[in-house]
Amino acid sequence: MTYRALNFTKRNLKEMSRDSLSYIFCVAFPIVMLVIMSIVNSSIPKESGMTIFRIDNLAGGIAVFGQTFVMLFAALNVTKDRSGSFLVRLFASPMKSGDFTAGYILPMLIVAFVQVVISFAAAKVTALVTGTELEIAGLAFAAFAVLPSALMFTSIGFIFGTLFNEKSAPGLCSIIISLGSFLGGIWFDVDRTGGAMEKICRCTPFYYATKVARAAIHLDLGKETFLFPMLIVLGTAAVMTFLACFVFGKRMRADLS
Amino acid sequence: MENVIVTNGLTKCYKEKTAVDNLSIAIPEGKLVALLGVNGAGKTTTIRMLSCLSKPTRGTAEVYGHDVIKEPDAVKRLVGISTQDTAVAENLTVRENLEFMAGIYLEKDRIAAAVETAIDAFSLREYEKKPAKTLSGGWKRKLSIAMAIIGEPKVLFLDEPTLGLDVLARRELWREIEGLKDRMSIILTTHYMEEAEALADRIFVMINGRVAAEGTLDELEEMTGKKGLEEVFVDIAERGTR
Repeated sequence: MTYRALNFTKRNLKEMSRDSLSYIFCVAFPIVMLVIMSIVNSSIPKESGMTIFRIDNLAGGIAVFGQTFVMLFAALNVTKDRSGSFLVRLFASPMKSGDFTAGYILPMLIVAFVQVVISFAAAKVTALVTGTELEIAGLAFAAFAVLPSALMFTSIGFIFGTLFNEKSAPGLCSIIISLGSFLGGIWFDVDRTGGAMEKICRCTPFYYATKVARAAIHLDLGKETFLFPMLIVLGTAAVMTFLACFVFGKRMRADLS
Repeated sequence: MENVIVTNGLTKCYKEKTAVDNLSIAIPEGKLVALLGVNGAGKTTTIRMLSCLSKPTRGTAEVYGHDVIKEPDAVKRLVGISTQDTAVAENLTVRENLEFMAGIYLEKDRIAAAVETAIDAFSLREYEKKPAKTLSGGWKRKLSIAMAIIGEPKVLFLDEPTLGLDVLARRELWREIEGLKDRMSIILTTHYMEEAEALADRIFVMINGRVAAEGTLDELEEMTGKKGLEEVFVDIAERGTR
């Protein structure tokens, strides 16, 4: 990583830390959902056998759900810079396309990590209150295991922010947020649903992202539950990051033509 | 005297419109050159091409012998630009904006000193801890120019630097620009005749993407038989558009 990329990363981190939207999107909202769903869980009779909202399952889902908002925030950051002349000014500097891409993506990964740590801390408190078992070792492992999906969502947000304007990019991100949380099985148990719905969910990387997060919290490193889903998430993250670099480089060249 | 910028048949076309048409100019080192022209005359497009923000359709342009198409990296290290819309990071403080820009151009150990120099040169000390978004238009423009020169460019492009500023802010900015003249070559675009008159060593009048006249104010007055830059400009512009 070049010093220029690091310099741009610092600038983006500072910009984000001074924007109240980052706290609402990236911290407050996932915690609010965690609390609400825990309340919902307390109303579900044990006989139903529904454990999707039990804190040890919910925490993983919330981690992935929070990342979808990091995606939205990544898109907003890029579109905001593109709408003014600041980015154009930087295009006239010796910064390269890779410096921009790294400088936009890296701060979002840091935000995603902080977000997941805060969400998991809130989950641990909830577990203590509700008397549910939730191991700190599992949470610590999961905080790192969800980083590939954070990269995947950040790259998707970066691509939307690069290709679309301030009005359309958030709209497209909202579609991914809805699809991601629904098809990812954050709010329902995909494996118990079966049929076409399960097949559709299994075709999306969101399903595997949620699966990785849940398995990691349970320290379950099984082939089907963790390793295979992790490979899919890693592959998708790599493809999305490559696409993000390609799209930004192309856009930069087009803007400078 | 060495020419810092040399263009030869420089042309930029956008679909039907030719924004800059066969521009061949040479800008000498250490001078402040003003590009004058009405809206759409091609001033900003010229600056964009010279600062590698836009690719010429035809022709060549060199900055200190470096071709803007073949050697953009070398050119980008030599030029600073303050765009028409102030390009600052709104949530960063004045000091952080300067540190950020210095970090792009300078080695780590030179950043702190460069920031202090810029803060003093543009009287930004009082505002150094304030976020850029809270500054008035005049101070934002000052910050934008300070950011453009912090990388110690050899050529500075100022695209309508005083646009929208009140008369006092404009005069103050003129003083700052005047102070930069001995450190770098400056190419300034402006609509304000008095600005070009006060600052420029040499004036290029652009009409429809072409240079219709060039020279010092005295030379242009002699050429047109008119007195004062405004009269000179109107005369050239009317002849050029006829």
